[in-house]
Amino acid sequence: MNLKKSHIESIIFLMVYLFAIYLWTLPFQNNQIPYGEDDAISHWEIADSFVQADRTYVYLPPFIDYAYEGDNRFKRHTLWYHPPFHTDLAIISSMSSGRTVPVYLTNAVFATSILISVFFVIRKLFGFLPAILSAFLLTFSLRDIMPYLWGQWPERLGYAFIPLILYCFYSYYLSYTKEDNKPIYLYILGTLLGIQVMMHPLSFFHSALGIFVLGIMLAIKEKKIPINLKHIGVSLAIFLILLSIFPYQTGNIFKTFTREQSAEESKSNFERIFQWSLDPKEFGGSVPPSYFSYKEMHGLWTLPFLLIGIAILLIRRQNKDIFLLAWLISLYLVLHRDMIGKTELLHRSLSASAHIFIPLTVIGILAIPSIIKLSKKYANYLKYAAALSFVTLTLIYNLPQAKSSLENAYNSPFSRLNPAQVGVSEWLMQNTPESQNVSLIGPPPQLMQRTWWIGGYSQRVSQYFEGFLTWNKYKDNPEIAKGHLLNDYLIFDYSDIGRLSDQSLANQWSSFEQQNMINHTLLYNKDNIRVYRYEP
Amino acid sequence: MNLKKNEKLFFGITILIFTIIFFYVILGIAGSISILAIVLFFIFPTYTFLNNFKIDFDEKIILSFFIGIGIFPSITYWLGIVISFKLAIVTTLILILIISYLVGKFKKNNLA
Repeated sequence: MNLKKSHIESIIFLMVYLFAIYLWTLPFQNNQIPYGEDDAISHWEIADSFVQADRTYVYLPPFIDYAYEGDNRFKRHTLWYHPPFHTDLAIISSMSSGRTVPVYLTNAVFATSILISVFFVIRKLFGFLPAILSAFLLTFSLRDIMPYLWGQWPERLGYAFIPLILYCFYSYYLSYTKEDNKPIYLYILGTLLGIQVMMHPLSFFHSALGIFVLGIMLAIKEKKIPINLKHIGVSLAIFLILLSIFPYQTGNIFKTFTREQSAEESKSNFERIFQWSLDPKEFGGSVPPSYFSYKEMHGLWTLPFLLIGIAILLIRRQNKDIFLLAWLISLYLVLHRDMIGKTELLHRSLSASAHIFIPLTVIGILAIPSIIKLSKKYANYLKYAAALSFVTLTLIYNLPQAKSSLENAYNSPFSRLNPAQVGVSEWLMQNTPESQNVSLIGPPPQLMQRTWWIGGYSQRVSQYFEGFLTWNKYKDNPEIAKGHLLNDYLIFDYSDIGRLSDQSLANQWSSFEQQNMINHTLLYNKDNIRVYRYEP
Repeated sequence: MNLKKNEKLFFGITILIFTIIFFYVILGIAGSISILAIVLFFIFPTYTFLNNFKIDFDEKIILSFFIGIGIFPSITYWLGIVISFKLAIVTTLILILIISYLVGKFKKNNLA
């Protein structure tokens, strides 16, 4: 078989993509215990619950319902996200082995699918070199890596649809004449938009704005508006059919986005009109300040090339340039929706910035040879030299931080369940009824997340799963705590005791156990963890 | 034409085998099976459907994945309410392949 140019390009892209996957899977290559913040717990436990039960469900099982019963504002006690994302993870998990790798790997493939969609679209419009360089730098995009690690999984996948949706619209628009047209692109557009809503509504609104802006810009440039009611009707029908497949979750989107906001939330903010990013102080405690910094996220070296790239497109204004400019403008608009009083998840839209900044940066750096007046031969050499410099700068400035973020993610001894906690979780799942309330006596506040992971891993109700002895909520209501204990399974977890600097809490739990558990049945006693049934 | 098709198939299978080995090396058997399952359930059935339409080969491959991850689980989810989840996965696969075949046949008959 002769290797054609297209084969070589495919192999190069595969190499870049597999390298990205290698990096993004670092957090679970050597430690296959699930990890992540609250969002990650919810996504993992929904997918895992489908697999463990070998069934899907409309109404949440008790252990998920406890925390999320009201998250679907349209129909309480049901899934708040459309089910496809979690069903995807579950499909792969149920065909593979283990409860961690299949789910986390599928999610890593989804999160890195932005490399695929950006590569595909940029290659179609600008050729292979800008496409592969864009995919390469995206591999190290901290604005993508951080939310991926925290657990904002469906949103990462949702953003990967934006370039494809704009591409379908662009292909339909430009191919349209009354005699000849390609409605298939419009039908695919309707399908992709419907699926994008199911993945994450925030990314759908971004796409809708992108289509709007691109449509206006192309209409001005091409002086035509392709209106074919049959094509638009079929595309709209596909979109609406997809929305109606999951009425409770679609209803939740309407309910969420039309709900009344507080006066503070709906206050229009025009101060940021000339600012790109948001004020980190407004998100203190939930998102680190570095997330809002261009320098920290993209590397300051990319900024001049980004500006050159934008300038080149503004001057050249070919259709493909308009495509990228419309995408950039739509990002600006979604990032400034607080001007019309829509503040919900505002900072999340910032995580879509690298997807358009990077292709613009690449176009900027590759355009330098054409700015300098050189013969075609030398301009070509200079273009490859610019590409090589781009790769070198990426490896020097972007790779180290991205690699260390992924390599060191959740690797402290307290950030994931330990083997003893996995053991007790599995025991609970096998030996207690599904709706059993389980309380954990033990974790100090800084380890609360592990408690919720035990809740998810054991799939048991954890209504008061907070180690209530140290939880302020019960400080003034000891009766609630005491009354709650009846008929619970109580876990006394000393498995982390050696790692705690403050032993006074452990002494408190231990004396509570000695005073109160003596007359109750000890069911499990292994690796410094004991489980009792607290009967009246 | 057939030679071209065979060449594409051979290239695709070589890439797939290499990818599966790569995932085996970094994540063991769970990794390689997961990737194979992603191709089998999310790309392959949607590709057979899109193959009935006139769009570029690379468009078919990329769009198969992005459409597959939305359509396949939507069917599996509802089937999984009434039958075993694993059975629902297999049923969905067969269902999409049958629909793809029927759409292809319908298009052929209408164009003939």
